Amino acid sequence: MIFAYDYRIDDLPNGLRVITVPTDYPNIVALYIVVQTGSRNEVEPGKSGFAHLFEHLMFRGTEKYSTEKYDEIMKLAGADRNAYTTDDRTVYHVTFSKEDLETIFELEADRFQRLKVSVDLFKTETKAVLGEYNKNASNPINKLIEVLRDKAFDTHTYKHTTMGFLSDVENMPSMYDYSLEFFNRYYRPEYTTMIVVGDVERDEVMRLTNRYWGEWQRGDYRPEIPSDSEQMEERTAHIPWPAETLPWAVVAYKGPAYSDETKDMAAMELTGSLGFSENSPLYQQLVIREQKVDALFYSFEDHLDPYLLIVAARIKDSKDISYVKDKITETFEGFKSVAPAAAELESVKSHLKYGFALSLDNSDAIAAAMAAYIGLRRTPETINRLFEVYGLVTPDDIREMAAKYFDHRRRTVVTLDHNPR
Amino acid sequence: MERVLLPNSSPLVSFRLLFDVGSALDPAGKEGVASLTAAMMAAGGTRRLSYEEIVRAMYPMATTFLSQVDKEMTVFFGTTHIDNLEKYYQIISRMTLDPGWREDDFARLREDAINFLKVNLRGNNDEELGKEELYNFIYRDHPYGHHNAGTIRSLERMTLADVKNFYRQHYTRSNLVMGLAGGYPKGFDERVATDFAEALTEGQSSKIEMSEPEKISGLEMRVISKDTRGTAISFGFPITVTRSHKDWPALFVAQSWLGQHRSSNSHLYQRLRHIRGLNYGDYAYIEYFPHGMFQFYPDANLARSQQIFQVWIRPVEPQNALFALRCALFELRKLVEGGLSEEDFESTRLFLRKFVNVLTRTQDAQLGYALDSRYFGIPPFIEYVRDRLEKLTVDDVNRAIRAHLQADDVRIVVVTKEAESFVEAALSNNPSPIIYASPPGEDVLEEDRVIEKYPLRFNRSAVEIIGVENIFQE
Repeated sequence: MIFAYDYRIDDLPNGLRVITVPTDYPNIVALYIVVQTGSRNEVEPGKSGFAHLFEHLMFRGTEKYSTEKYDEIMKLAGADRNAYTTDDRTVYHVTFSKEDLETIFELEADRFQRLKVSVDLFKTETKAVLGEYNKNASNPINKLIEVLRDKAFDTHTYKHTTMGFLSDVENMPSMYDYSLEFFNRYYRPEYTTMIVVGDVERDEVMRLTNRYWGEWQRGDYRPEIPSDSEQMEERTAHIPWPAETLPWAVVAYKGPAYSDETKDMAAMELTGSLGFSENSPLYQQLVIREQKVDALFYSFEDHLDPYLLIVAARIKDSKDISYVKDKITETFEGFKSVAPAAAELESVKSHLKYGFALSLDNSDAIAAAMAAYIGLRRTPETINRLFEVYGLVTPDDIREMAAKYFDHRRRTVVTLDHNPR
Repeated sequence: MERVLLPNSSPLVSFRLLFDVGSALDPAGKEGVASLTAAMMAAGGTRRLSYEEIVRAMYPMATTFLSQVDKEMTVFFGTTHIDNLEKYYQIISRMTLDPGWREDDFARLREDAINFLKVNLRGNNDEELGKEELYNFIYRDHPYGHHNAGTIRSLERMTLADVKNFYRQHYTRSNLVMGLAGGYPKGFDERVATDFAEALTEGQSSKIEMSEPEKISGLEMRVISKDTRGTAISFGFPITVTRSHKDWPALFVAQSWLGQHRSSNSHLYQRLRHIRGLNYGDYAYIEYFPHGMFQFYPDANLARSQQIFQVWIRPVEPQNALFALRCALFELRKLVEGGLSEEDFESTRLFLRKFVNVLTRTQDAQLGYALDSRYFGIPPFIEYVRDRLEKLTVDDVNRAIRAHLQADDVRIVVVTKEAESFVEAALSNNPSPIIYASPPGEDVLEEDRVIEKYPLRFNRSAVEIIGVENIFQE
């Protein structure tokens, strides 16, 4: 079993779920609070970026604990805390010394149930969010992904990034009322799972959970996430970049949603690695031997709804953009006709297994790794099931999956270059 | 050859092979040779295996072997699962002891280094660009005065022979410290030590005497002109305090209070971001901390005999850039003149006592910190910090602040598209009021009226505008 820790799942009557994982790492406790809402939940036009904005607002205080008070208590606990937002989840995490368990539980329970942000503080925080957009803006990768998603999706909310459309971010200061609505919808126990990992006992965790989180009221909002119809033709876009940079080519295919039962998703993850990791023939060719490319990587993030397998290459010379793009699409085509060698597939499976095992080297890392899966299925068992499915994937499964998904009509290609084309 | 060993029962084994060799040893005209040498070892082939073969052998183990080069040390590090220890060690020992020196690896890695400077820093990361250029500005005409990766000009002229010479001269037993942690089998450390001792020559220590950095007089500024959305600002000055200095724990407290990295507890974050919404964050440092936008904890093995105090202001809207600079200088001056309150001192001390656990939470980090403690000649890091903090008083901290920090003689680096108007406004000393989306309370507005007029005593002869294309050029 890849996730071999003993854990306990407890469900409160209000729908809140608590997963406790005692570990041998002394003194430290990691608490990850996973809210199953992300930019995917931003279904209304003009209101993208609110899940991420909330990640900020949650640090803006309650009646009982102002931000200053909250910060002070966290500081005395030596706590290291932060939060992040993805398409499918918002995660608040804090790592602290075990003697502060009750303090942290009380503090976190308070803001999840009783957040109170004034209009002025709200407006100030929206400017910090714009500041975040601005500090990201000099990196072409962010722009590439923004344009890729806008192009690849029509109505599904994966069309916008977690930051949101820039126009929506700029308009945020006037959206105070909507922010209250957003909080009422999603900051509810049935959307929330607490992961507690480290030097803890389950009984103590549950005593504190019942005490501080037991009164939290269930909500009743369920978003209707629009679904896209099947993509029927290749889509392309080009981004002229104002500053000095090397050109990029990004090739993406629509993939399956996360699943720990069927093989397609596992097969696609393995294919990404077979085709485009540093171990792949294409990487060896483009990066090491021909030296036309200095970065080649793929990403296939687990998502609740069908998302994208993305391959990105940074190219050293503008004249090679087409060549590199063609090499990438040819590699995808190749998987449709020739099944990979069994030994290659085993090497990739071994990489996934050891990669996951090596990442679990402290309580915080264990909780962090779990959070991604809890956002999808609310149980760590999904990790074991997923790795079982990886184990079952055969070379023929790869070929069959490729034939189904790597159709050029399901493809979106985005290029970026400083030099005019 | 020294050894730092942290055996335990973990199924992971971590290596940190550290050489007291860094970019401060780069000869003039050969800037970047220390980095390129390390890259040839960690990202090139061995005599027997091509780099392709190494990548393919490492892949099923899901591990890496990376190099990190700083001014005075270079470390090669990686962690493997114990299942794969033998195979992993076979590869990495050859990489460090028997590099292949292939021309095609050299061409690839030299080009990577050039593109790192040109594209990753100059093109795509205004914040790191400003932070790194601040070091070059402060350490002008000093062994620290160029980026660890080198300059574009020197890299373009570098040859494989330069790299091989550097290896021969500096990769010796005298410069090696062997770091090993984890559940390795009995006798394994001895075996590694013997292998390295036999393969390397004794050589001589490469330690050099560092000169003093230039004296700064007044506010000195380098403005990098670049077409970009935000304005990124960094400023600082040399300090004589490192972890081996008796005042380090006191400055550690002061720095944490003023600008704990990526924490909303940072006072600068509170004043600039939280209350005024100026940007995404604002922090302060007493040790080199690269890649801060990508990580929450500092990397180990960046130990230096000379450090700077630094403030990092994340990109602000150009219209508020001068206000932001004034605000940060204002807060620094307040700290220098007023010191920390007893209450702030106590809470920060408590925070740091616990936070050191977080800093050293992985085996690899523990090993890295242990190696740095060896460099500074101090007890194990957690013990050192806890013990010194225990004895510290608020008076000690405030005395150290007055002794080592100030807000008068400071070098500033700004990355902005409005270079000329920024310089003009800064030199004019006219008020630079902040423009708000939503004005804060009257108490803040009252303070704003002071900050917007904060006197900027620029040393006019030391203010310059440089096009971004000239940075890291030579």
